[in-house]
Amino acid sequence: MSESAIITTNNVNLWYKEKQALESVSMKIPKNKVTALIGPSGCGKSTLLRCFNRLNDLIDNVKITGEIKLDNKNIHTPGTDVVMLRKKVGMVFQKPNPFPKSIYDNVAYGPRVHGVKDKAELDRIVEQSLHHAAIWEEVKDRLNDSALGLSGGQQQRLCIARTLAVEPEVILMDEPCSALDPIATAKIENLIELLKRDYTVIIVTHNMQQAARVSEYTGFMYLGRLIECGKTVQIFEHPKQELTENYITGRFG
Amino acid sequence: MAEKFHAELKTLKTETLEMAHLGRFMLRTAVDALIRQDKELAASVGARKDEIQSMEVRLEERCYQLIALNQPMAKDMRIIACTLKVITASLRIGRYGKVIANIVKKISDQPHIANLMSIPHMADLVMEMIDDVIEAYEKDTLAVISEFSARDDTIDALRQSIFREAITYMMEDPKSITRCTNYILVARYLERCADHACKIAENVHYMHTGERVEIH
Repeated sequence: MSESAIITTNNVNLWYKEKQALESVSMKIPKNKVTALIGPSGCGKSTLLRCFNRLNDLIDNVKITGEIKLDNKNIHTPGTDVVMLRKKVGMVFQKPNPFPKSIYDNVAYGPRVHGVKDKAELDRIVEQSLHHAAIWEEVKDRLNDSALGLSGGQQQRLCIARTLAVEPEVILMDEPCSALDPIATAKIENLIELLKRDYTVIIVTHNMQQAARVSEYTGFMYLGRLIECGKTVQIFEHPKQELTENYITGRFG
Repeated sequence: MAEKFHAELKTLKTETLEMAHLGRFMLRTAVDALIRQDKELAASVGARKDEIQSMEVRLEERCYQLIALNQPMAKDMRIIACTLKVITASLRIGRYGKVIANIVKKISDQPHIANLMSIPHMADLVMEMIDDVIEAYEKDTLAVISEFSARDDTIDALRQSIFREAITYMMEDPKSITRCTNYILVARYLERCADHACKIAENVHYMHTGERVEIH
């Protein structure tokens, strides 16, 4: 990959107790691009994604070796502030998970945690984040309504707005559309296209057509290993590895 | 679902091969009719025109349906892309057969000039190229088409030589003009058929490797 890398992994191994979930994963995530991770269930793609903001730290008996660098800094050095890391590397999950609060408070939550108290500044951040998440027009007149009253697709975009509110560099998306209908999915996909201007997006998806549509780079994982990683066009037109070929043509997985 | 799709892809390939064989058969039969001055045989080529045309429409539609319903990727996508080219090229080859068959009707009442010059030999070489490229498509192998550029050069050279020879005969005897002009046309059609074989070869190469090459 010729583009400058924002995240670099070097020989990453990960174990859940004795079970090895990642095996010697070395890859580069280019800045301001969309990178998709594909592979059959249990191949380690979500595990890898959760390494990038050390979300696996929250699980007991996890052991990681190797090196993960964000902006050329190892994220596992003892002095790393994990809260700051997760501010830089935001995450959107499979199921929309808004807080049981108002739409406004959902988005303002992160900035408040990080010390923003000024009401005008919070207003500005909330509006801008909702704009960036392409949901402002739909919610601008009901910012004080409960977020739980929104549709699934709207909730997911709200969660994206909540991620954007703390100005991350990287946005991790773990199957962000699998709980949504096709129209809501299309909206999220359009949004991803817009987001890459300002952010680096890494998306895990089961849906290969989605990976092909939204990403510029694709990594194919199998049994904890990164089998092949390259430009999306190349991976889907003529993959180099037979395993990749067999997976994306539906011969297994 | 993938199994059903792959079974359909296999059927598509089998039926496309049938069409390719029909196109080849029409061309071979037309050339045989020309050599033997057999108008009846020539007429039998024209009779297959509708058949190959409807095959083209049906198979092309099948390709588009498979794309629309399955969003094929990688090799699957390349097989369909190549198949579309095989369909088009086979129709063209069959049509050239029909055009040559029409010429047979016009020039069979008079004896051949110079034993049709190099046309029979050229036709054999073109038929071999078509046979080999059909085999390459069927078996997904590149070995039989590896020399296609050189073989196409030979075909071009033969067309040139037939052209020059025909001109000589026409200058010697104006009564030979109709036959010689038609020989030039037949040589041109055969050369175009070799080009179509090259086009298929390029696409088989793409199907097999994912890389584009130029063969001519």
